[in-house]
Amino acid sequence: MGSGSRAGDILWGLAGIIITLAGWELATRLGAIDPTIFPGPITAILTAAHQLPASVFLDNMAWSLFRVTGGFLLGAAAGTIIGFAAGWYRGFGYFARPLIELLRPIPPLAWIPLAIIWFGLGEPSKFFIVFLGAFFPVVTSAYHGITHVDPSLIRASRSFGLKGLGMLFHVGIPASAPDLATGLRIGWGLSFGVLIAAELIAADRGLGFMIMNERNAGGSVSVIIAGILLIGFLNLVTDAALASVLGRWIGRWHGA
Amino acid sequence: MRQQLVQAFIALLMIAVILLGVELGVREEYLKAYEFPPASRIVQGFIELTTVGFPTGVTIWSHIFVTVIRILKGYIAAMAIAIPLGMLIGAVPVLDKMTVPLIVFFRSVATLSLLPLVIVWFGAGELTKVILIAYGCFWVMLSNVIAGVKYVDPALIRAARAFKVNGWTLYREVILPAALPRMFAGARVALGVGFMVIVGAEMIGTIQGLGALIMEARSFYRSEITVIGMLVIGILGYLITSGLAALERLLLPWGGGSSEAA
Repeated sequence: MGSGSRAGDILWGLAGIIITLAGWELATRLGAIDPTIFPGPITAILTAAHQLPASVFLDNMAWSLFRVTGGFLLGAAAGTIIGFAAGWYRGFGYFARPLIELLRPIPPLAWIPLAIIWFGLGEPSKFFIVFLGAFFPVVTSAYHGITHVDPSLIRASRSFGLKGLGMLFHVGIPASAPDLATGLRIGWGLSFGVLIAAELIAADRGLGFMIMNERNAGGSVSVIIAGILLIGFLNLVTDAALASVLGRWIGRWHGA
Repeated sequence: MRQQLVQAFIALLMIAVILLGVELGVREEYLKAYEFPPASRIVQGFIELTTVGFPTGVTIWSHIFVTVIRILKGYIAAMAIAIPLGMLIGAVPVLDKMTVPLIVFFRSVATLSLLPLVIVWFGAGELTKVILIAYGCFWVMLSNVIAGVKYVDPALIRAARAFKVNGWTLYREVILPAALPRMFAGARVALGVGFMVIVGAEMIGTIQGLGALIMEARSFYRSEITVIGMLVIGILGYLITSGLAALERLLLPWGGGSSEAA
């Protein structure tokens, strides 16, 4: 943090948000933009709350969160284990790295058709796409972290008699935690975005499906806008939560 | 050097083993050709894609061309707005403080979640895809331009002031060159984002472009064409990223790495 008070920064930020929202609301009230296709924020949220019962919103939200959390946990676990193993055991790295480097440039969304071919249209194909969204950033950062551990740390711990798995868990993993944390956050953001896209393209529930279905059924723009805002807030809040958990975890070794 | 040779050898060997395994697996009927298209089919499919095209008349080259043009349109539009706006916001602290939460929020909005809204506004045509790409690229570029201008080493600015360099000259001779590496890194990351967005955006409402190709091929049970499309997308993505990284080293030798983009 640089100079200037934190409270002042927050006030300026709030002012920015209020000006934007007020400008948007005013533009629709004064007719600068057509409120039937772009309602103001107040109208949009009120209309959406009126048209769709809260249970529909909550149900779709629960499905999206379930998919993104499940797929992310699987992808992050696999990415962490494979990334650390590939960096720690050179022999395994020889086999794992070329495969990862070969598949990494293919964006997760490009796997959607193949996921449908392999797993059908149900939950497993969503999990697979989210898995990929988390896996590649995490595996890359875990590998980078474990291969860039300060060699003097390794030498010091060796002279204290640590080796093998003991050294991996007490030196290697703590030393690469900051890299891993970055990968986990990128992975979460990517998983989230990728899931919403997958739900738009092929799904029968979830927030992505909800807004796309609203447009296909010729429903209300307000519901679409409220859905987009909800997706944005969910991403923002979950990312902040993840950042604080990871910050505390890293703080154990690297100072708060 | 020797290590790299061993690595390359193992990589080639593994690819060969996988391709051969799928080929034999399908021939011996352990695997379904539809789920695991063997290499022989993929080669046939590629020849079909380059000559006849899929759907008939649209060759792989025109799919690539359509996708690249869409990305470029959205990307250039995003750059044209983000660079001047970011330089302004980065130079005016009050403006920066006011826009921080907005930019964080707009970056959190999943780009493709805007698809239904943009379709309502502009229909399911070309413009919609270009707008989505532009949106994805814009926020990434904007935050990197702001950060580039904002986090110029204060010692550089003080040193320049000591030499009586002020105002516009200070901006052009000191701040801009110091901000350029970060801006270029942002431009590189933004192009990657655009590339991810287009694949999703093309899966709806079009038969042209690489995203459409892989989705259409699936609907017609041509999984080998889906796989070819994925490989082409991967190669194109790789060429774009490594090409820009090379360009960056060439144009900005004072950059000192660009892993800082966010």
